[in-house]
Amino acid sequence: MKTNNKIKCVVKELNPLTKLVLVLSLGIGCMIYPSPFLGYAILIVTLIVSWFMGFGKKISLLILGFGGPVTGMLLFIQGLYSPKNSTVIADLGFAQVGLEGTLYALKISSTLLVFLCTFYIFMQTTKNSETVAALTHSGLNMKIGYLILASLNVVPQMQRKVKTIQEAQESRGVEVTGKFYQRIKAFLPLIGPVVLSSLTDAQERGMTLETRGFSIKGVKPTSFIEVKHSMSDQILRIISGLFIVFCILERFWK
Amino acid sequence: MFIDTLIESIDFSYRYNEAPEAALKGITLEVKKGDFVAIVGANGAGKSTLCSALAGLIPNYFIGYTEGVIKIDGKKTTECGVGELSQTVGLVFQNPFNQLSYTADTVSEELAFGLGNRGLPKEIMLEKINNVAETVQINDLLDRNPLELSGGQVQRVALAAAIILEPKVLVLDECTTQLDPIGSEQIMKTVKRLNQNGMTIIMVDHDMEKVAGLANRVIVLQDGKLVLNDSPENVFSNPKIVEYGIAAPDYYELTKDYALNSVILTEEQAIKKLEEVLADEN
Amino acid sequence: MKIEVKELTHQYPSGDIALSGINTVFEGIEPIAIIGQNGAGKTTFVKHLNGLLRPTCGEILIDGESIKNHTTAFWSRKIGYVFQNPDNQLFLESVKKEFEFGPKQQGVSKEEINERLKVVADLVGLTEKLSIHPFDLNTTEKKFCTIGSILMMNPEMIILDEPTCGQDLEGNRRLTRIITALKENNQLCITITHDMKFVVKNFDQIIVMSEGKILKKATKEVIFSSPEILQASSVSPPPITRVGQALALERSVFSQQDFHQEFENKKQAIRIFR
Repeated sequence: MKTNNKIKCVVKELNPLTKLVLVLSLGIGCMIYPSPFLGYAILIVTLIVSWFMGFGKKISLLILGFGGPVTGMLLFIQGLYSPKNSTVIADLGFAQVGLEGTLYALKISSTLLVFLCTFYIFMQTTKNSETVAALTHSGLNMKIGYLILASLNVVPQMQRKVKTIQEAQESRGVEVTGKFYQRIKAFLPLIGPVVLSSLTDAQERGMTLETRGFSIKGVKPTSFIEVKHSMSDQILRIISGLFIVFCILERFWK
Repeated sequence: MFIDTLIESIDFSYRYNEAPEAALKGITLEVKKGDFVAIVGANGAGKSTLCSALAGLIPNYFIGYTEGVIKIDGKKTTECGVGELSQTVGLVFQNPFNQLSYTADTVSEELAFGLGNRGLPKEIMLEKINNVAETVQINDLLDRNPLELSGGQVQRVALAAAIILEPKVLVLDECTTQLDPIGSEQIMKTVKRLNQNGMTIIMVDHDMEKVAGLANRVIVLQDGKLVLNDSPENVFSNPKIVEYGIAAPDYYELTKDYALNSVILTEEQAIKKLEEVLADEN
Repeated sequence: MKIEVKELTHQYPSGDIALSGINTVFEGIEPIAIIGQNGAGKTTFVKHLNGLLRPTCGEILIDGESIKNHTTAFWSRKIGYVFQNPDNQLFLESVKKEFEFGPKQQGVSKEEINERLKVVADLVGLTEKLSIHPFDLNTTEKKFCTIGSILMMNPEMIILDEPTCGQDLEGNRRLTRIITALKENNQLCITITHDMKFVVKNFDQIIVMSEGKILKKATKEVIFSSPEILQASSVSPPPITRVGQALALERSVFSQQDFHQEFENKKQAIRIFR
């Protein structure tokens, strides 16, 4: 358990941009690398790391729940009907399974899964506010940073509001379940209050921002969130870069 | 204008864009340091509009037509941005969840938001956060996600976020309306303490018992006009308040036949007076 | 109409028990107030009465039929629910259209709708504002717009969730008129509120809730004379009642008239004793 917490802490302590760079480089690297087996190797490592961090079950469910159907679908389409197919590895009667198409399908699915699983770990170990703080620290305009963060954080609140509005309109006789036609009829009574009340909310939230000095001019804003940049971040970013270079070399020099 | 006048309104009128009638008509008033001013009146009388004007949101945030002048700490509201004015006047209003910045994952971050906009370093932020958490008694909420708190808790956070900026005046626009009595009491205890420590308070409320027990001045609005501006005793004993859509606190009505030389507005005073009356029977 | 609540228990997905084994019956036309501090389960409880929430255990019968048999939209013909925040219901371009919306959903005829419109608009004080956009109304008026839109559906029972929030003096008086009119029209009114002055003025029957249970269902005299119930539910009597209790008047008082009468009685009693 102590090792689990330690690994989780190490990942949490990393600069959010480093984690984003890792996610992107692993995913892009898998896309570039000629064989799908790199992707699956990274997935296995990701799965092991996530077990230590306590997300093993969730990652496994992601791999099976998303990866299973998507891989199956891709294998069917690419394995049987890819124009690149020249080597037959199996004959199903109604069609033949080609090696090139199968490998291509496996590469796409492993790339998608690498992106998904590494991004999941990123989201679980990084607060939204930390990510935006890191981005603004690196030069992103503060107001754009606010827009990104507020948009992410307002989603759960909006979901609650939509649910309340749905209940309120059901209480006025609006059927929100059932046939397609009924659901279409319910659209305006549901979306109307969402839009109108959002305008009121936006106005009041704007008042809040103004009274907290959001638009003060001539002052460089500071952040409560410390954006750390340690030796680990430096090393990992270099490794990410080298990994991409390695994948490119493997793809284009072999 | 006296030296200790913090807010001064001189014949101020305001009409919202596209509104047929002015929401505020010729408002003249002064708010002095240490005052606890209650603004009362029927719904639609202009109370929230006046709060927005006193906080500088009118004319800088709400588009409309103004006449007259409001000065906040000597500065005209037409000549300063809301950010600058916000250093003097803090505002807490009714809906708790619309007073969050939506940028914070913890209450500490929420409280730090306004301080960050003012460019304060982290060490000072931490000190101020701890102080204000103590004042508003939200120490146990500092690590919580503000979006997962109850309405009463969020309102306390909103109050803390307003006073952490150390305004000279705090405007409270029906800030306890959506809270239960316990939540309301918690907020009012803090506000009373802040006033006792020198902060000037302007409060809009419909609860006359609450108002009478806290305010040293009551302003009554009707149809955008200031119709009364006096001590709670003089306002609540004025028979015309019924026309203005407000009623005197129950404590006044219970004791007015017995307290011929004074106006009783609080529970303690009412019980004391009535006990005296009963004792006199003995 | 009769609503029977039997062993109602509600557990949230998180595992928290919001309501625990509630048993009660709603019938008749005597208005009922439900009081208790935030988190006691008041709103969770009333949301079961029109089917917005479904019991985890137990059942609710409306005139003998299980509430599970139909959707909330179906039950809205019998049970109206006015939400606390009017912004969650209003969306049409005029007050008149808001009023007509509910009955139109029910298939009520145009003539009947027009007849109801006159009565309801007068009751909620919006006769002069029928053509106004609801979002141009002030707080009080918006509230009455939502109340009116539910009244237009002519339900047998109406639930008002915190109708006194943000109301001024005239607004509270109008609410009193509405509650009286509902009783006269044989419609049962259930109200959740924190305003004890409003409770004692308008309701003789009170349900006190705490921690997901009904602590007591009784008259206001019983509720506000019981320190144990008040303490357990964190409810405080209204100012007049508190003063009366502090002076140890013969009985609990709820209006100034009652207070003066009892106070004079006490003075008289002291004189006689002397």
